[in-house]
Amino acid sequence: MALLDIENLGLAMTSFEGETQILHGIDLTIERGEIWGMVGETGSGKSLTGLSVSRLIPSPPGRYTSGAIRFEGQDLLQADEPAMRRLRGRRIGMIFQDPTTNLNPAFRVGTQLVDVALHAGRADPSVLGLAPGASARALKAAAKARAVEMLDHVGITNPAERIRSYPHELSGGMKQRVLIAMAMIGKPDLLIADEPTTALDVSVQAQILRLMHALVHERDIGVLLITHNLGVVAQICTHVAVMFRGRILEKGPVRAVLKHPSHAYTKALLDAVPRAHTKRGELRGLGGIDMEAAE
Amino acid sequence: MSFLRIENVSKVFPGARQGLFGRAEGFRALDDVSLSIPRGASFGLVGESGSGKTTLTRCILRLETLSAGKIWFDGTDLHQLPPQAMRRLRSRLQIVFQDPYASLDPRMTIHDIIAEPMVIHADTMPLSARQRTERVLELLLQVGLRSEHLFRYPHEFSGGQRQRIGIARALAAKPEFLILDEPTSALDVSVQADVLNLLHRLQDELGLTYFFISHDLGVVRYVCDDVAVIWRGKLVEQGPVERIFDSPQNDYTRMLLDAMPDPDPDLSPFRRAQTTGEIA
Repeated sequence: MALLDIENLGLAMTSFEGETQILHGIDLTIERGEIWGMVGETGSGKSLTGLSVSRLIPSPPGRYTSGAIRFEGQDLLQADEPAMRRLRGRRIGMIFQDPTTNLNPAFRVGTQLVDVALHAGRADPSVLGLAPGASARALKAAAKARAVEMLDHVGITNPAERIRSYPHELSGGMKQRVLIAMAMIGKPDLLIADEPTTALDVSVQAQILRLMHALVHERDIGVLLITHNLGVVAQICTHVAVMFRGRILEKGPVRAVLKHPSHAYTKALLDAVPRAHTKRGELRGLGGIDMEAAE
Repeated sequence: MSFLRIENVSKVFPGARQGLFGRAEGFRALDDVSLSIPRGASFGLVGESGSGKTTLTRCILRLETLSAGKIWFDGTDLHQLPPQAMRRLRSRLQIVFQDPYASLDPRMTIHDIIAEPMVIHADTMPLSARQRTERVLELLLQVGLRSEHLFRYPHEFSGGQRQRIGIARALAAKPEFLILDEPTSALDVSVQADVLNLLHRLQDELGLTYFFISHDLGVVRYVCDDVAVIWRGKLVEQGPVERIFDSPQNDYTRMLLDAMPDPDPDLSPFRRAQTTGEIA
């Protein structure tokens, strides 16, 4: 059984101008050990696909018009909120783009990490290495130990002390590491990372990618990596899906798609990235390509 | 003869007050920076966040005072100029900002936004209101927008279009020197390509000199002739782009180049590690 199976997903959003169809039948299957890159321009629907998997789109304005999202066979679109709460932070981990707005500035990072660990531990004490029915006290102690362990694991030096820091005391790269630690603390089977390195410097980005890559191999999890950076996709993804206006135009193993794109849009997207050997005037934007004809 | 010359510039921000008379040690944002940009060239400045890129541009625009050193612009010492002369000179020295969503006033029409520099520099560019509108139109067309956009508001435009408006505004005062502070980092790659090509075309048409700040090495290589790498306020390496990119001498430059993800899957360090691992 596939880890995640998105089948013919349709999503519509209501605004003042009426209902607009945002996603038009998304099909995507993610197995364990696969890192799926989802690329596309602003507004192509890649973030909404990611948010749909963790059911974080409020309804209204969102409405699923068709399809199913099966996580190990269970249809998430049919799941109720308590069931989703048990999955989020435990089986499905999430990392978002901006580390600064996704940490609460009023609490120490340790408190925030322990909260997530406790949440996961209550749903399944084995995550914290405890037997079922462990006492609240044991849970708390284990959650704290696990928070320190995770910080250490994502490469933060001196984690026992760092756990007492507030978010503003950390750099962007460190905050993003804290968010990755937070996403990984419940030992998820599926990780959804929405532009995890966009706000970071290239050197920090390289470290974060290395870290994510190592985690996937160590834990054999599946990853949906949403990004607009084709370089990042080429580096760590095993597969890639190219999105355009709410549809997946092309998908497949990363080498096949990026080396021999079959769709004109993918080709155009690749041509828009400046590379070492691009000469002046050779770079092409997407202004010239006729999408209706390409489809 | 260089157009802009920066000589041994340092900038120290004072530290926090300690007690009644004491001060903590200051922060050295720029440390003995020297560079020179010939007329008509594109000079790139590359560095990570906090390296001093923005401080250097603020020093060039005289929005910061210098702790040491001199900045020469076309033979005049910028930081010795009286304020009024500096004001006049600013029409020759314009900037395009990073975030096109934050740098346009949401309450002004595109016409007013682009005309504003001409109003400010009215003493060097005496234009009637009608002439100003004509010039705004001409600028709009020059950056690839259309005349019907004239009386719209910024929220009606996409990120790429807004950045074109920002560029038109910078060109309004007929500058010779343009500072581009990460002009494409907020844009999609597809839109970025169009904006970069626009910058190329404008440089050819108007003979502009660019000072291009970016953390994206691919973009710098595409736009610039020369490049300097800044690290913790110091220039660690500078020279022609080909030389710096093909045979970097400095460890930090090499690290930056290695960290830049290439869209060719065969060049991925992870995949390389994996395949060798499988063979072994």
